[in-house]
Amino acid sequence: MAILRLDNLTKKYGSIKALDKVSFEVPAQTVFGILGPNGSGKTTLLGIVMDILKVTEGTYQWAGNRTTDELRKTIGTLLETPNFYHYLSGEDNLKIAAKIKGRGEGDIEKVLQTVNLYERRKSKFNTYSLGMKQRLAIASTLLGNPDVLVFDEPTNGLDPAGIAEIRELIKALHGQGKTIIMASHILDEVEKVCTHVAIIQKGILKTVGTVAEVLNVSTTGNIASVCIEICAADNSQLKNIVQTLAGVLTVVEMGNCLELNCEVNISPDTINQFCFDKGIVLNKLVVKRKSLETRFLEITGNQSDR
Amino acid sequence: MFKLFKIEWLKIKTYRTFWILFLGFLVFFPIAFYLSAYKFMESMANSKSIEENIIKSLLDAPYVFPRVWITASWMGGLFFIIMGMLFILLITNEVQYRTHRQNIIDGWSRMDFLKAKFSVLIFFVAVSTLLVFIIGLVVGEVFSTNKSNIFEGIHYVGYFALMAMLYLMLAFLVAILVKRTGLSIIIYFSLVCIVDNVLWLIFTLKDSQIGYFMPLEVVDSLVPNPFKPKIMEKRTVADYTLVMATVAYILAYVSIIITYFRKTDLKT
Repeated sequence: MAILRLDNLTKKYGSIKALDKVSFEVPAQTVFGILGPNGSGKTTLLGIVMDILKVTEGTYQWAGNRTTDELRKTIGTLLETPNFYHYLSGEDNLKIAAKIKGRGEGDIEKVLQTVNLYERRKSKFNTYSLGMKQRLAIASTLLGNPDVLVFDEPTNGLDPAGIAEIRELIKALHGQGKTIIMASHILDEVEKVCTHVAIIQKGILKTVGTVAEVLNVSTTGNIASVCIEICAADNSQLKNIVQTLAGVLTVVEMGNCLELNCEVNISPDTINQFCFDKGIVLNKLVVKRKSLETRFLEITGNQSDR
Repeated sequence: MFKLFKIEWLKIKTYRTFWILFLGFLVFFPIAFYLSAYKFMESMANSKSIEENIIKSLLDAPYVFPRVWITASWMGGLFFIIMGMLFILLITNEVQYRTHRQNIIDGWSRMDFLKAKFSVLIFFVAVSTLLVFIIGLVVGEVFSTNKSNIFEGIHYVGYFALMAMLYLMLAFLVAILVKRTGLSIIIYFSLVCIVDNVLWLIFTLKDSQIGYFMPLEVVDSLVPNPFKPKIMEKRTVADYTLVMATVAYILAYVSIIITYFRKTDLKT
């Protein structure tokens, strides 16, 4: 079942199309990454489904029968930058958020502890560092233990330890069966925590699917090959033998190893078993999956927008 | 609505600028009004000459019943401009800190946001109207010799409430449309202090009554300057007509605010 369904979402600012007919679905209980360069329309997209921006054309639909206003109360959202009252303490800011969401103040203490801000809860927001502001914003999204969370650049402004903590938190939330929609321009982040990814560039949806699908489907839409690197004591013998295995497309010598270009359905186990049966013991076997970065650059072109 | 106001109260109860301006109004208006009454009555008591007595009769005793209600409402109106500025600040702050976006993200509808601000507006109007009533009553009690009919002319306090409402509605409209704090306050003050008065001047030339229907003058005219002799008053439009016109303005501002805010992109 889809948590969120976008249908031909278009947003124009004057003559500029920030989003151009974007359609996709966010399945339940996934970590759905929205990946794109700066200015690609990620925040615009999230702003529209949160009703702070008005769509030019197209529709969106959250799961459930309630009005979108009531639904937003059950979604934890961090959009772009932490938005809080500067003269209020972290705790008082969360009280306001909890009241708007129609929740009690019971879990404020808990969410502050989750993001390590409990000690500073009485300090005014404008005394917080950038990382603390970001953590307060994440704490705010956790109020009321929502089933759906929307994060826009969640690790923005955090130090490496903070980044790792937030990633662990997102994984833990996913483990509890929650759906997380996350916009990011950090490939590494998406690759590490997301199950699904949509790539947007200049407001146009380039590709969407599970991370594995996106990594393996070539730009032309055909199933791409998998690259596997193997080595043995006698590489020339290995080359002759492995060439006979069905599914192996090409074999190229690379230094003191062989690089096999195989069909996607070939697993490393098959290759290992095959060679062993033929009397060759492999001393190295590496599946060289394409990284999301390579795919991202293939899809978006390697030049930065604007 | 009360639930929304409680959330608004959480936002402002520890906001220092709010207290400075709010208490400024609550404290300075009564003090200024009482002192001016005291000085005025003192100088009246000392006047012996015929000229002074003529002026006195023309002024028609602004600090005693029943005219004290007009004076309290009129002077309250002068001080109330501060509340307009405060109200603008409370709205443009939200835009500046993007908390209006966060309120919506957290689950308010856009109408909830407007209603919450409207609840603050009602609060300001209620508190200041009560203050005008109390201070009018106190000053009247202190300085009047004839207390037979103290509530005669009490409807001017009602006119004050209407005036407060219209001024804050204008502030609301300016803040929602302009968004920037400094610019909103400048525009508000120029509308209140310059534009409306200039329009009034232009449209009351040649004894025209149109000037009394200008956006703010419409309600200002209901509470005439108590220090201006009656014979200088050229208004012939009935109070009732001006009240209706004021209500029409308020409804117009409300509908512009709602129409605009419901379909706009919430950006800074």
